[in-house]
Amino acid sequence: MSPREPISRPSSASVAERRLVNLAWAAVVALLAIGALLAARTEVVARRQEVRQVEVQADILAASVSAALAFDDRRAMQEYVDAFRVNHAVAGAAIYDAAGREVAAFQRDKAHAPPPSIKALRSSFSGRRVTVTRAVAEQGARLGTVYLETAPETWAMVLGRHSSLALLTVLAFLLLAMVTGAAAQLQERARLLAEANARLVDEMAARGKAEEALRQSQKMEALGQLTGGIAHDFNNLLQIVHGAFELIRRKPGDTAKVAAWSENGIAAAERGASLTRQLLAFSRSQKLELRPFVVSELIADMRELLARTLGPDIALEFELDDARAPVMSDRTQLELAVLNLAINARDAMPEGGRLTICTRIRQVEPGDPVLEPGEYVELSVADTGEGMSRDVIERAFDPFFTTKGVGKGTGLGLSQVYGVARQAGGTASITSTAGQGAVVTLLLRRAAAGATGEGAAEPAEPQPVLAPQGGRTVLVVDDEEAVRALASEILELLGYRVLTAGGGREALEILEAEAPDIMLFDYAMPEMNGAELAKLARARRPGVPIVFASGYADTAQVEAALGGEAVILRKPFNMETLAQTLGSLLARRADAGA
Amino acid sequence: MRARRAGMARWAALSAALVAGLAEGRAARADNLELAVKATYLYKLAPFVSWPAQAMGGPTAPLAICVQGADPFGAVLDRAVSGQAVAGHPLVVRRLARLGPGDGCQIAYVSGGPAQSQAQALQAVDGAPVLTVTDEARGAQAKGIVHLLLDGGKVRFSIDAGQADRNGVAISSKLLALAVAVKR
Repeated sequence: MSPREPISRPSSASVAERRLVNLAWAAVVALLAIGALLAARTEVVARRQEVRQVEVQADILAASVSAALAFDDRRAMQEYVDAFRVNHAVAGAAIYDAAGREVAAFQRDKAHAPPPSIKALRSSFSGRRVTVTRAVAEQGARLGTVYLETAPETWAMVLGRHSSLALLTVLAFLLLAMVTGAAAQLQERARLLAEANARLVDEMAARGKAEEALRQSQKMEALGQLTGGIAHDFNNLLQIVHGAFELIRRKPGDTAKVAAWSENGIAAAERGASLTRQLLAFSRSQKLELRPFVVSELIADMRELLARTLGPDIALEFELDDARAPVMSDRTQLELAVLNLAINARDAMPEGGRLTICTRIRQVEPGDPVLEPGEYVELSVADTGEGMSRDVIERAFDPFFTTKGVGKGTGLGLSQVYGVARQAGGTASITSTAGQGAVVTLLLRRAAAGATGEGAAEPAEPQPVLAPQGGRTVLVVDDEEAVRALASEILELLGYRVLTAGGGREALEILEAEAPDIMLFDYAMPEMNGAELAKLARARRPGVPIVFASGYADTAQVEAALGGEAVILRKPFNMETLAQTLGSLLARRADAGA
Repeated sequence: MRARRAGMARWAALSAALVAGLAEGRAARADNLELAVKATYLYKLAPFVSWPAQAMGGPTAPLAICVQGADPFGAVLDRAVSGQAVAGHPLVVRRLARLGPGDGCQIAYVSGGPAQSQAQALQAVDGAPVLTVTDEARGAQAKGIVHLLLDGGKVRFSIDAGQADRNGVAISSKLLALAVAVKR
């Protein structure tokens, strides 16, 4: 596992380099051997030539001196040998008569006197000297012998003879040295690189671990903030719901007030639901329902809500385009994003101010680091509040980051805004100068589909069915009794005949006897979950539509378990949603059956 | 007094005779050495001379050194020549009273004799391929192609190149270079 391991092994590159260096050394040895052979050959040839040259000189002497030798003309003979004085290569010369006795001689240095008598003819190269004895003959008549001896060869002459070869060898060595030097340098560089790489890998691993630890601690910190903040919000909401029900219990007869109180309670519960929806959107555990819609229309629809959220001290202005360019996003999530921005703006302007919401079409050119080129819908929300510092802007989109006090904000608002923008193929950014307000800008990628309104997107959507569904039987399965009881009450109110079961086994027993028109299963149940139950139930009552209710965080996981066809009701759901879902499924079944 | 004078005279005569005798002995030895040198010269000339092919008789035919007339060498010449060969031709010595062009002599030492004078002998082989040798010591008036003489106590020679040409024998320039005089 250690990242150092693969680097400590010799790499194939270094093996190849070593091979190269070995090759270079082999070349050196071969070069030396060849050089030595060539030098030896040169030496042998040179000596042979030298001997031959001296022999030729001796032969010339022999031919010249033959008559003088024959007629014992010593003066002439002495003249002949003395002629070699001018040739400094000759150290000694001598002439011998037919009996081998010396008759004339010349010697350059006293140490090297020609031999006083000669027996045999021979040529030799020894002690750096060439010694030659040649016969003097005329017409086959042997008249005597001549002797020639050269001066010893100087080392300079020997070196001169081998200088070109030596120069070549030296040059070859220099070349080899350069090559091997370069190879060694390369090897060294490769080794340093490998070391640096090993360090980098180590550092990256260490950094990865540190980052992981940091993320973990951030998560723990966030969880702490979350429980603190959300628990506070939930308590507030529960306080409202609790208070409303208490008032209703005390004065159930006051119909007008009961209606108002229950309205308050429902509103508080819805705020709670929206809070959890925010959380789920942030965690991306909730699958977004992406549909094309027009942003300017969505903003226009939110006018009332925004005005109420901001209160009377803040002026609300709109600058909306009329391009009707659709974006592909989750309408609810974008509404929530705008609402979050509005709430943030309101909190930033406690003394009042102005909120401006603009939409326009913007072209993104190729080369943008984040966005793909094309047309985008720009949605900007600008306030005149206290603004944000650079540090705050940098962290503003981070989840759980908030400048509000504990309990006042969850730190999820802007992070949700960012999530929506990214999911719509765009991005979000903040520009602000402290004390001069802030502008949050969302860029949402323009959808390829034509502009469609909500109604146009789902033309076949059945109208809310609140009418009593006389004679229809629904099987409700939920392990939690309170939820089961509430659901059955609501369904009975809607006119359904309701069968209830506390678990999968009980539900299957009921299905033995009863044939419901539709089934409502909780997903998360002990022993047998909704998916498993659905499989067995379909085996017994095929064709009966099943609706799953799930408050489970990961809707995608539920969908994966149930298959794409599943109809999922997200908890908490209101009566209208339940009635609409069941009603449309029954209508579709009736259409299929018809 | 007279007797004493006579004794002195006898001594003187004896002494003179002794000295003369010694001188004569020395002269004889010198003559012998001179003769020996001349004898070797006779055959040593051979390698430096070329004869026309028809004069040689064949590739291994003997090369004849002839002595015409009085023979001063005797056995000395025979010993010197014994076993010698020049260009495959063994050397032989022949003694003749009369020299003629048909005698097969390549080298002829002409000293003259009662049968044929030196001049006659030379005349006899004029134009024939014979290297004629004469000797100053033999009182020669006429000279052969090679004429032996004493020069500074050493035996040297002069060469008559013109006569050699007439006789059709070619003499090596090496030999000419060694001659004390060359007559063209």
